[in-house]
Amino acid sequence: MRDGQHISQEDLALYALQTLSQDESAAVREHLSECDECQAELASLRGDLAMVALSVDQKPLPAGARDRFIQKIAGEVLPASTAAKFTEPISIDRSTRRSHAGWSGWLAAAAILIVAAGLGFQVSQLRARLLEMNNRITTLEAGKSHAEQVAELLTAPSAQRVLLSAPKTRPAPSGHLVYLPLHGELILQADNLAPVPAGKTYELWVIPADGSAPIPAGLFRPDAAGNGSVVLPSIPSGVSAKAFGVTMEDAAGSKTPTAPILLAGAVPASGE
Amino acid sequence: MTLAPESPSMPDQSNNPVPPGSRTQNERAISAGMHKSEVGSDKSLMDRVRVREQQAMSEIFDRYARMVYSVALRVLNDSGHAEDVMQEIFFQLWRSPESFSSSRGSLGAWLLVVARNRAIDQLRQRRSAEPVDEVVLASNTNLQSEAERSIIMQKVQGIIGNLPNEQQQSLQLAFFEGLSHSEIAEKTGQPLGTVKTRIRSALTSLRKRLEA
Repeated sequence: MRDGQHISQEDLALYALQTLSQDESAAVREHLSECDECQAELASLRGDLAMVALSVDQKPLPAGARDRFIQKIAGEVLPASTAAKFTEPISIDRSTRRSHAGWSGWLAAAAILIVAAGLGFQVSQLRARLLEMNNRITTLEAGKSHAEQVAELLTAPSAQRVLLSAPKTRPAPSGHLVYLPLHGELILQADNLAPVPAGKTYELWVIPADGSAPIPAGLFRPDAAGNGSVVLPSIPSGVSAKAFGVTMEDAAGSKTPTAPILLAGAVPASGE
Repeated sequence: MTLAPESPSMPDQSNNPVPPGSRTQNERAISAGMHKSEVGSDKSLMDRVRVREQQAMSEIFDRYARMVYSVALRVLNDSGHAEDVMQEIFFQLWRSPESFSSSRGSLGAWLLVVARNRAIDQLRQRRSAEPVDEVVLASNTNLQSEAERSIIMQKVQGIIGNLPNEQQQSLQLAFFEGLSHSEIAEKTGQPLGTVKTRIRSALTSLRKRLEA
């Protein structure tokens, strides 16, 4: 398994895939605990595996999945049922304790022990909860004090207010796009674009909603003021888009976009 | 529709001197509103999750749930079980946000690996082979935006589709079916060493072509 001083890449890949036997995994873990180099390679392999996972076609969530999750985290924050359990009184019937003897006495003693054990458990839970609440109160008080300090500073009449901005900062690039899927018609007006190096160009992409490959939607170069536009490029009609993006490509354009995306915008859910 | 640059360099804290953990309810509400329109970075959303903001957690869910569910579904081939895996992963992230830190890689990539591992655990009906907080990965891939994800997904599908068939097969059997190299060797009739080499070669090719 060892490749000289290190775990071989083959075995590290299998370890990342969690497909080694228990013994083999234990040996790798032991080596990893002492080897930064193999840890780094394992992290890279997991990064590769994340990309393999990304190759899976996206499927819609089951109906109601989001609501179920939101309800679950809301319930976790306010455990009303748990609170009720903590405050519920425990009744003890004293009359039965006096009227039985012999085995019934032992049974009653056993029952009391069980109740006592239960009470002990509840007490320990209550203590843990009390500790947690105390910690939260401390945190909230610290936050409140900080917030009050901030509020005083912001509202103080004697406070000096100064606007700071970076000198000669270039405004952030942005683009406004209008798209009519039915006719395959599109206009993009982009502003504040960075100059394009020689041999390069900006390229606009339509990202189809059905998950198919991005469609090239025109090349453009900004003018000296950083303004650029694409007007009625030749693109197929009837394509439902989920997003648009702009990348920088070689001057002749590209059939597939090259990361990073320089400008991006998602189509609103309403399609407007 | 407006197009804007992705991944602002100082998301969330650029115009608010108060760290998320010290904000008042109102400030958090304003912050949440800002994020609705500005799309918060994963880091700023996780910062808000750590101070128990449900809105931030639901934004993370909206961003990555389909991706996580799709991976679990690909492994388990059962929508109910796949949803169980997805719900468990996001709920665990909500209850223990410290199980992920940015030092463990990008949130999207981390969730993908955790989703695959959890789904394989379920498929093999075994206890979790590795706690999620031990999953560390190196990935600079930005999966925060829908557009970026779509483009990278297309690229990865193209690269994997162009790998030699035997490499594709070994990788798919190991990754999506959780078969060990000896099980793959038995299934394909290939020597163990060949199977190992094919899996490693597939991953190496994928990395190199993504970096190219």
